[in-house]
Amino acid sequence: MNKNSLWKDAFYRLAQDKLALISILIVFLYFFVALFSGLGWIASNWSQEVGASNLAPSFDHLLGTDIFGRSVLQKVIRGTQVAMSVGAAAALIAIPIGVILGALAGYFGGWIDDFVTWLYTTFSSVPNIMLLISITLILGKGIFSVYVALGATSWVNLCRLIRGEVLKHKEREYVQAAGAIGGGHMRKLFRHILPNVSHIVIINTSMQFQTAIKSEVILSYLGLGVQGEPSWGTMIDDAKLELVRGVWWQLAGATLAMFFILLAFNILGDALRDALDPKLKGK
Amino acid sequence: MSLNNLLSVKNLTVEFQTSEGIIRAVNNISFDIPQGKTIGIVGESGSGKSVTSLAVMGLLQKPAARIPSGEIYFNGQDLLKLNEQQMRAIRGNDISMIFQEPMTSLNPVFKVGEQISEALRVHKNLSKKEAWEKAVHLMNQVGIPNPSSSAHKYPHEMSGGQKQRVMIAMAISCDPKLLIADEPTTALDVTIQKQVLELLQKLQQEYKMSMMFITHDLGVIGDIADDVVVMYRSNVVEKNHAQTIFHSATHPYTKGLLACRPKLGANPRRLLTVSDFMTESGEEKIVPVERVQVFDKEQEVKSESQILLEVDQLVTQFPIKGGLFGRTVDHFKAVDGVSFKLKKGQTLGLVGESGCGKTTLGRSILRLVEPSAGKIIYDGKDITHVYHEELRQLRKKMQIIFQDPYSSLNPRMTITDILTEPLNIHKVGANKNERFDMARELIEKVGLKSNHMSRYPHEFSGGQRQRICIARALMLRPEFVICDESVSALDVSIQAQVLNLLLDLQQEFGLTYIFISHDLSVVNFIADEVGVMYAGKIIEMDKASRIYKNAKEEYTRSLLSAIPKGLARETRP
Repeated sequence: MNKNSLWKDAFYRLAQDKLALISILIVFLYFFVALFSGLGWIASNWSQEVGASNLAPSFDHLLGTDIFGRSVLQKVIRGTQVAMSVGAAAALIAIPIGVILGALAGYFGGWIDDFVTWLYTTFSSVPNIMLLISITLILGKGIFSVYVALGATSWVNLCRLIRGEVLKHKEREYVQAAGAIGGGHMRKLFRHILPNVSHIVIINTSMQFQTAIKSEVILSYLGLGVQGEPSWGTMIDDAKLELVRGVWWQLAGATLAMFFILLAFNILGDALRDALDPKLKGK
Repeated sequence: MSLNNLLSVKNLTVEFQTSEGIIRAVNNISFDIPQGKTIGIVGESGSGKSVTSLAVMGLLQKPAARIPSGEIYFNGQDLLKLNEQQMRAIRGNDISMIFQEPMTSLNPVFKVGEQISEALRVHKNLSKKEAWEKAVHLMNQVGIPNPSSSAHKYPHEMSGGQKQRVMIAMAISCDPKLLIADEPTTALDVTIQKQVLELLQKLQQEYKMSMMFITHDLGVIGDIADDVVVMYRSNVVEKNHAQTIFHSATHPYTKGLLACRPKLGANPRRLLTVSDFMTESGEEKIVPVERVQVFDKEQEVKSESQILLEVDQLVTQFPIKGGLFGRTVDHFKAVDGVSFKLKKGQTLGLVGESGCGKTTLGRSILRLVEPSAGKIIYDGKDITHVYHEELRQLRKKMQIIFQDPYSSLNPRMTITDILTEPLNIHKVGANKNERFDMARELIEKVGLKSNHMSRYPHEFSGGQRQRICIARALMLRPEFVICDESVSALDVSIQAQVLNLLLDLQQEFGLTYIFISHDLSVVNFIADEVGVMYAGKIIEMDKASRIYKNAKEEYTRSLLSAIPKGLARETRP
């Protein structure tokens, strides 16, 4: 049996890219840290005092302690949980909306297309951060509103891409051939066209994930994000006042944690695009 | 090396480094192009002909490609020893090239006049104004009407043939000594192809250029080449004067290539293919006498059968949007009042140039495009206005095979999935295994191996993919099949095999075909009756054997005369 599908080809291409493999490793590491933290296996006692206030990093406290004597490392880990869950939740909300609206608009055209196009142009004409702030203000502070706010803003890009690709693919002869053998709209759209545009969802999700993480940090920094939980954003906010006293470790911990995951997602996104859509390579 | 050879390729070998190891694309080939002569390089896709031309131009992708041995002498200078900068001075100046696809070779955001003058300004150091004047002069020479105003046009405002003329004007703008033409007419209609060939020939004599003409179709080359080089699987298998090649070819592959193109007159019952002349390993075979025997379609008595399809005054129009709010301002009639009758088991051929409405007619009959007026009567039943379930049932009986074997198969589905899908839709076959068996039976009928069925479309060649498309169309055992340019994208040698397959299947399953093509010789071979389409109308319709003997319409005659004869022209003094 020779199962040499396009997905497998893409996988081999990805496996040859060392940088991409390292990125995947980093993403998995963050994922498991977030998962274990969520399950309460690690950093569950983050709110407890472990030493004196504002201890510099040492062997006992790898990233030092904050003003209340809590471990900064544990706070970074809790922050990872928040960041990753926000990224995942935003993707879970954005993908179905973006894919379904984009596919319907591209395939059926007409008033459906007009409506969807109007919807996403309206959304994208408002600066993203303003939209995020207004949604969290309406829904109230807290992590749940961050999920909804990010999900509601990040489907726009995906929807636009999917619509364009579906528009291109529906004219292809293989879709016409599916019609000629008696296939209906749903078969043409879901069995034939969507598998051919699904790589866009994967590439876009990896890009969107980092946007969501960044947005969460910004919202939390502005005090609109998670409440009563450590987040990279609130840690950076705290550092504002601490830096003058030479307490740099809270800022360093949060930004480094953010730096590595954003870099990993960035590289992974590019690598995924090269692997799944070889035509775009080098452009 | 004799002095009057402009280009002399000696023992050239080109290899490509791929993930599967080293592939030898060109194997130890030698040929010469004398001053002021044209040589044709013929071979099917993958035979190494384009790689040869890229090697001459110094355009091979390095480091994937390497040239382990060989010399390419141009004007006494070994091109392979030159560095990139020296090569750039020669490329576009002394050697220039025309590509196959005029649609994508021009930059859409610049006026054509600017694009022609750009080359002149780079290589000849002309001022902007001088270059523009020269460009207009060149456009006049390549036969573009109103050159001074046409120079201000953008590429999308020109037809395919005109764009190819612009490409030729660019290629000859710096008075090249050698012009390489890589399948320059393959994407064009026959009548335009003829004009472009005549133009190239005229220019070659005027400018005293040498020309290297690459094609997969021996028929095209007969009119233009002095010498012919035949390439097969990276090797030169035969080279000689065009006259000699056409009249007494020695290599079995050349004989096969010459025989596989359908002729306008009588043909054998099944076209001869390369495999009739040589075995897989390249040894010569004796062609059985009955294979060569031509037969006259008019002599053949097909038993009178009933009418399967009747099309009455069919009109299909598309709205033209315009104005500020995109209202429909007018209609474009792609099919304009077409009527014909087709008997069971017969083949109707539809010929015409691109844009004449033949494809829309085919799609309208299948109701893939909604006709605007007229009637389609299939098997005694008016199907112009059936919908939903009834239309779905109709799809079982009527099928279509598309032109492009690359885009008509879903790249994410295996061959098994592709072939069993129609069975799933129509709930034919009791279970998965039964459907798989039905697919396997057909895949073997169309000449593929059943152990290929778990593969994906991109693992097959163009000809094999078209066989898969044919198998898919036949899965539901239709009575009626529309072949829409189904062999146009294939090399001539593959085209003959697919045409034979279509005829075999017609005989076996009693199929009725509508065969749409721009190539009259193909239609003449396969069809019982031929309809010539022009601007949405069938302007002439007759028995295939009669239409080429005494065509009544001027347009039909011009189509006929444009077909390459597949014969060498008289040697020039």
